[in-house]
Amino acid sequence: MSGQGARELRKTWASYAPLVPLLLIFVGSLGLALAKSSALERDMRIAATQNMLWVVTQTQMENLMLTLAAGTRSATDDEIAQRFDLVMSRLNLMNEGPQARYLADIGHLDTVQLMSRDLLALDPLEHGHSPELHAGLFDFGLRIQPQINRIANDVMTTDWGKTAARLDDYRATQQVIILSVALALTAALAVSWLLLRNQRRLYLTQMERMRTTTLLEQERDSAAMYRDFAAIVSHQMRTPLSLIDSAMHRLSRKGGDVTAQDVQERRAIVSDAIGRLTRLVDTVLLLAKLDNDQLQAQFAPLSMCRLVASLVNEAQLRHPERALQFTCAEGPLMVQGDPHLVCHIVDNLLSNALKYSPCDTEITLRVFSQDGQIACSVTDQGPGIGQRDIPYLFDRYYRGQDHVTGCGTGHGTGLGLAVSHELAQLQGGRLTVYTCEGKGSVFTLWLACAHPDTAGDP
Amino acid sequence: MKIIRSHAALVATILAATPVAADPPALTLTGAVRDAPIGLSRSELKSMPQHELTTSTSVTDGTPSFKGFLMRDLLARYGAEGTRVHAVALNDYRIEIPISDFEEFDVIGALYQDGEPLSPRDKGPVWIVYPRDDHRELQDIRFDTRWVWQLETLHVE
Repeated sequence: MSGQGARELRKTWASYAPLVPLLLIFVGSLGLALAKSSALERDMRIAATQNMLWVVTQTQMENLMLTLAAGTRSATDDEIAQRFDLVMSRLNLMNEGPQARYLADIGHLDTVQLMSRDLLALDPLEHGHSPELHAGLFDFGLRIQPQINRIANDVMTTDWGKTAARLDDYRATQQVIILSVALALTAALAVSWLLLRNQRRLYLTQMERMRTTTLLEQERDSAAMYRDFAAIVSHQMRTPLSLIDSAMHRLSRKGGDVTAQDVQERRAIVSDAIGRLTRLVDTVLLLAKLDNDQLQAQFAPLSMCRLVASLVNEAQLRHPERALQFTCAEGPLMVQGDPHLVCHIVDNLLSNALKYSPCDTEITLRVFSQDGQIACSVTDQGPGIGQRDIPYLFDRYYRGQDHVTGCGTGHGTGLGLAVSHELAQLQGGRLTVYTCEGKGSVFTLWLACAHPDTAGDP
Repeated sequence: MKIIRSHAALVATILAATPVAADPPALTLTGAVRDAPIGLSRSELKSMPQHELTTSTSVTDGTPSFKGFLMRDLLARYGAEGTRVHAVALNDYRIEIPISDFEEFDVIGALYQDGEPLSPRDKGPVWIVYPRDDHRELQDIRFDTRWVWQLETLHVE
């Protein structure tokens, strides 16, 4: 069993194996997307702070201011010196670090270095202010203006190209992310499907196991049932047979001295034993038919009063010593049922009453109608039925725990009430019991009225 | 033309307002400070307690070391009362900086880079430098715009 469990577990895990590559692709593509977006972010941050176009236009502006100052007579030397410094600082900025690398990339670093050299050659700090120097600065400004303009132009086109490339990157990253999300969704769906499938498999396995167990139990139960059945039936058969046997022995022992009374006495015993045997065989046959679904009930309208009256008469003949009371309510009291089966049920209830109640007590049978049903009740003044027996009263082979003995001999088969109950149900009716310990019991058979319209109320 | 004239006029005003300044003022404080405007020469700025920091910047390679005064010391020394400063550079670049920046971080007005005095031909005479490598939140391009170089005027509000 545990080996099988381990195999099941391995099988369950193995079913997840195809997901591993899917998971790896998902994790890989997501990792790639993250790396790409992180690189993109860094790139954008650098691009933003570098802002080369701003640096170049600032240089252009400062150069313009210096050119203006140098070409204006009213400008003071200090003003020109300050303008010179500002242009110098812009050129220095362009000549260092990231700015220099950028210009080298677009092929303008040499131009800017030449500008710095040419401007330093006109340094007022070194050469002192003079109209010639100022004219030189003016010429310088005019000369480099278009050059700076071209640099600005190239920087702009380069930046746009870089932005376009960045957008492409961004789009590609987005696609990778979409792909990985799609993969993740697929994986999630696959996992859910597998989980459901495994759960279903587990469920089916459990069901199978349960079914096997149930079948096994049923097998065991029915084996026990047949064992019980054989034991009870053979015992029940033996009792009347031995009664007949001993009666015959006594007759044969008397030889020629047999009187008519002797014969009469033995006849009664044999007749009773044969009746018991017949009922037993009848019950067993009914049981077999019930179990094999072979019982074909022949439904017909029956007069309940007439049917019960004849049963009471027969019983009275068999048991002349017992007091049997029979009352029948007014009206037709017709039931829809199989005469043979109804007879069997009432006869069973009546023989139980005869068997389990003391010989000197009365048994009452009543036929009446109630709530559109026809009822036949059998009331005895026996010891009643114990409360703990009640729930199992109609179960097969169940025999009361307290072995009470009444007027009859021997124990019950545990079949009579069960069969009667099943037969009542088969005809759309039911069997009920009311008992009062120490006072007696009332068993009632309820059957559908054959003509509900004509059924009289009690 | 107009710009130059107004600038010259401003310089003239400052010169008139600071009678005993031997050096030309490197930095001018205006707005909510005691006795505004205050023109501060390079030597006056150098005489304040000097603070050093090493950090990468967006316009240089590597991690240069900077030396200068703490911005909060400067504002405290001249009795600045306000929540923000408008920093103006020589080229008229303008940016607003919350004073809380100077209180939260050791932001300096750098006078030296790698031991060399900053000159107006570079990013001097004063360059506002943030300790960007020491604080992750400063590694944000929104702070990079506050690194004013060639700082000329601080207007306190």
